[in-house]
Amino acid sequence: MSFELIKDILIATVPLLVIFPSLFAFTTWMERKALARIQNRIGPNKTGIPCTRIGLFGLGQPAADGIKMIFKEDIVPRGADRLFHLLAPILALIPAMLILCFLPLEFPWGKFMSAPVQAFLLDSAVIFFFAISGLTTLAIFMAGWASRNKYSLLGGMRAVAQMVSYEIPLVLSAVVVVMMVGSLNAKEIADAQTGFNWFVFTPWGLAAFVIFFIAALAETNRSPFDLPEAESEIIAGYFTEYSGFKFALFFLGEYIAMFAISGLAVTLFLGAGDGPFLTSAPWLSVVWFIVKIFGLIAVMIWLRGTLPRLRVDQLMAFAWKFLLPISIFNILLAGLSHFALDARVAATSDAILYSIHAPHTHSGAVNHAPPKLVAGQKEAVMGALHYTDKNWVGAMEWFFKAALKGHVQSRSILAWWFGIWAMGLTVLYVMAKGLDNVSRSEVKPREYLYAE
Amino acid sequence: MSILGGGIFKGMAVTLRNFVGSYFYKERLTTNDYEWRPDGALPQSIGDYPKEEGEQLSDTTTVNHYSRNFPMLLHDTGEPMDTIRCVACKICERECPPQCIYIEKSTEKIENADGKPQFYPAKFDIDVSVCMSCQICVEVCPFDAIVMNSQFELSTPDRFGGLLVRRDDLLKSNDYYHKIHPQEAATRDQKMADDKAAKEAKKKAAAEKAKAAAEAKAKAEAENESKEDAE
Repeated sequence: MSFELIKDILIATVPLLVIFPSLFAFTTWMERKALARIQNRIGPNKTGIPCTRIGLFGLGQPAADGIKMIFKEDIVPRGADRLFHLLAPILALIPAMLILCFLPLEFPWGKFMSAPVQAFLLDSAVIFFFAISGLTTLAIFMAGWASRNKYSLLGGMRAVAQMVSYEIPLVLSAVVVVMMVGSLNAKEIADAQTGFNWFVFTPWGLAAFVIFFIAALAETNRSPFDLPEAESEIIAGYFTEYSGFKFALFFLGEYIAMFAISGLAVTLFLGAGDGPFLTSAPWLSVVWFIVKIFGLIAVMIWLRGTLPRLRVDQLMAFAWKFLLPISIFNILLAGLSHFALDARVAATSDAILYSIHAPHTHSGAVNHAPPKLVAGQKEAVMGALHYTDKNWVGAMEWFFKAALKGHVQSRSILAWWFGIWAMGLTVLYVMAKGLDNVSRSEVKPREYLYAE
Repeated sequence: MSILGGGIFKGMAVTLRNFVGSYFYKERLTTNDYEWRPDGALPQSIGDYPKEEGEQLSDTTTVNHYSRNFPMLLHDTGEPMDTIRCVACKICERECPPQCIYIEKSTEKIENADGKPQFYPAKFDIDVSVCMSCQICVEVCPFDAIVMNSQFELSTPDRFGGLLVRRDDLLKSNDYYHKIHPQEAATRDQKMADDKAAKEAKKKAAAEKAKAAAEAKAKAEAENESKEDAE
């Protein structure tokens, strides 16, 4: 192996191994602080610089937790399978770290070196992402099984049922984006959204993003889907029997998985590293990416502070009777409306471009008069050109300007655009409402054994 | 027809309001941000913690007027055992969900604060390691004898004996109760006084009625007698 190759590998992987675990430490602090504030408490505020009374808003808490975790006794139950009990937390962390490699993160120092910006520039990154993140389920079940504890086993079984169920809507909602871009490559998906062409700004993309986010909550065992570790029901679920550093590894794995899946949501729907001021400072793209990840994580924490936990039957009914049909329907709607709009606008754009070029291309003697300038023609042409570049947002902007000036064809394009937005959202909402009415699980009132 | 997912947004608005409000309104916070042990300077307002060195172990440690921790037994002004309100009826022991109260009834009666002979608890133990601070004992007590204390510094090196609070440690005066929960104590005293007045009024009414009845009876008897005499 040459030195260059080793250097490239290090440049591509070390940031992932350094940045995300340190973000994890910060996130635990952020989560505790936010939950405390939501409950009108103060949260950690005393653990700052050691041996002083400087609190630093409790920012020393993650470090203190880490030190505590390392020095805690590692307890293995007597009947446990020692090997698998040890392996499970490691196996939970590895896939979580691995899938970080598929995110289209462009670190600024990659520009000055020969390194690839991404660890893996795979053509099938999205598929790989789902395939590898699915392995976490196995590690969790392994933990539950190897602990030899009924609560652990129950937690493991709940985790398997939940994660297998929610993986389907997760993948199906990502399919919409893959359909639009025509590629599974994360980099290409990111490139397709530059200039605020984010997929969340389309009705189907918005619906897919919501479905994706809900399924991602369930995939990462976050509240309100934290059934596998429901402390009021089954102690701590699959990590009941874990203490010390193994517990810390599980915890780390869970948070890294949260980062990874938020990263995928950002890549697919929120325009990856796209944001303002990118032309003057391209290195901002990695900042935007991480800011967006943190935005999603903040929403997750907010939801955790708000919603109570679902019952098992509600959880399953929600996945199979609500999310699955609506995500399939969303694919159908996305296909129909996107291509309908595309065909309409493409035809109109062609007409607009043609009306400019036609007088010059025709060599007939009759049509020698100079082209008559229609109001807003210039803007309409700009919009049509933007549209051929697949810069939908820019195109709509120009069409809007043309329409304001009284350009008829641009008006018809905008009407189609608004119509499809309204129709898409209405149809999706009606569908969701109907599914909600159908899929609500009915609960029989409990019969008490000993009547009062 | 409600909006789909509207409840979630409503709930999120509530939590957001708490999140933001807790930064701007100190009175929102359920706990005080109490300072480290003061280096010389004493905190200014009531509820500041701690007021004096060593006071955290005494009875007056309280966070604020709304804090509740574990139950205590009340006695009126005077010697604790002479004025204890508890009559060892064991209702709280029976109602306690985690079963953390243990009561032994006395064999003989002694006079209580009203000068009425009553039973008293020979033993009244609360295991605070089991107690879940649900306050049900307070609600079921017909004698207003058990209320919630707010003392929170209960850590002890003795895991078993130290967390089992005995009768004599549970007994606190009504004055102390007024000190830690002034509003609640005032209402409770008012209620007790009202009850007592109502009871006395009822008794008086009953006595008057009985008197009237007796008079009527006597009158009737006298009439009867006079009738008989007439015959």
